[in-house]
Amino acid sequence: MAPSLMIQLHHVWKVYEVGPIKVTALTDVSLKVGRGEFVCLVGPSGAGKTTLLRLLYRDELPTEGELLVDGHEVATLRRSKIPELRRMIGVVFQDARLLPSRTVFENVAFILQVLGAPRKLIAERAFECLKAVGLAAKAHAFPAQLSQGEQQRVALARALVKEPLLLLADEPTGNLDERMAGEILELLRAAHQRGTTVLLATHRVSLGASVGERRITLHAGQIVADSGSGDGT
Amino acid sequence: MGRSSLVFLATEAARNFRRTGWVGLSAVVLIALSMMALGAFGLLSMNMGRAITQWRERVKIVVYLREEPPPSAAERLMERFRQIEGVGRVRYVSKYEALSRLRAQLGDQSDLVDRLPTNPLPASVEVGPTSEMTTPEGNRVLVEKLAALPEVEEVQGSSEWVDRLAQFRRLLMGIGVGVGTLLVLAATLTVTVSTILVIHSRRQEMEIMRLVGAPESAVWAPLVLQGLFQGLVGALSAVALLAIGYRFLSPRLIPFFTETLGFPQVSFFSWLEILVLIGSGGLLGAVGGFLARGRVSAA
Repeated sequence: MAPSLMIQLHHVWKVYEVGPIKVTALTDVSLKVGRGEFVCLVGPSGAGKTTLLRLLYRDELPTEGELLVDGHEVATLRRSKIPELRRMIGVVFQDARLLPSRTVFENVAFILQVLGAPRKLIAERAFECLKAVGLAAKAHAFPAQLSQGEQQRVALARALVKEPLLLLADEPTGNLDERMAGEILELLRAAHQRGTTVLLATHRVSLGASVGERRITLHAGQIVADSGSGDGT
Repeated sequence: MGRSSLVFLATEAARNFRRTGWVGLSAVVLIALSMMALGAFGLLSMNMGRAITQWRERVKIVVYLREEPPPSAAERLMERFRQIEGVGRVRYVSKYEALSRLRAQLGDQSDLVDRLPTNPLPASVEVGPTSEMTTPEGNRVLVEKLAALPEVEEVQGSSEWVDRLAQFRRLLMGIGVGVGTLLVLAATLTVTVSTILVIHSRRQEMEIMRLVGAPESAVWAPLVLQGLFQGLVGALSAVALLAIGYRFLSPRLIPFFTETLGFPQVSFFSWLEILVLIGSGGLLGAVGGFLARGRVSAA
């Protein structure tokens, strides 16, 4: 049976060492996020939001503490097992990070190709996802031909095309105006309603409030407020 | 690995090759040159080897006898010769036959022979060594064995010149392998460099591939495939150029080689050898791509 908790952090510390200088990004962070929850991680720049997300998809290792994603102990995960972990996680960044030489469709399909999905499924799923983000009509356009909001929607489609259990969105609305940010938020909500656990990191307090779900506030690497319990309910 | 994965990897490899531009193309040219050098030396060596084998088969040792034995004793002597290890074919040449041969050789001047008061030519035995004894060492051992027989006055004939030719062939092969190895190294490095360029231009793609959980093999397999592709194209070009060269040059060169070096015939590679040559080119390219793999982790 799948664990009811999607994310568990127990006394996690992350300290970056730059020569003799030590910078503490996360200080004794403990947190539980239930399966299917929508959590908004709010905090100013430098609060440790990005670091926390990077720990979850094993782009960084914690200096101390225990970290579990869907029951997998992330910090001690063997190198060969990292792809397995990342296959169940979708990530969206502030900058869309689309491949400029590939069309919108190719950017989305690329993920399934990389993961070795059958060709027929790739075409079906890629169009389905583009339709879901309202960009099916621009499937053959190149990223440079899209607005920033559209690019971010493609990035979201790309993250969702492999149907991840967990979606990590790191300031996905950072470069967008209110209207476009609202659109992205709607798409995140739609993914959540389909059963995906969503962890949205944002510095916009108003955006965090508008989500209306659980809100965790990070400040200087510490959790200073948590509106929910993380029991998966 | 499914069909769609293979198609994807091949497509990515082709995309990579296009990105390498002139560097990628120069890698193909270098592979073609190195395979051509190795192929040309290989062809020459192969044909020389065939000729040497045939010449060795024709090597004969002439054993001159102290006295001509009576016909019944000659047969027993031949039997003793046959029992010596390393002796293949044996032919007795009587004094009379030796004189007849000389007469035939002299042609118009054969009457000179008739003026001789007595037949000065000794009886002899022509010995053909077995294939194992055609080596320089085998030849020397056999000559010593024959010379030790009490009936023997002198032993002539060895495969010395064939051995010298074989040594020349080895030298030629050494030069060929040396030049080929240098070119192969240069080609491999060029493939590696062109692959590193691809890695830099694909940094973002690789980052995304890793982010979505692509197995590490899916990240570097297109690079190895790209090298393999470069190698195959280079080797195919080399074989094609060698075949064209052989077709145009052989009618002019075969008579020359036959007359000067006595080559029985000059032949091109067999299909299997062609496949090995093309496969080697592919392997060379793949190794070049594989060597760049270390940079993938850094990317």
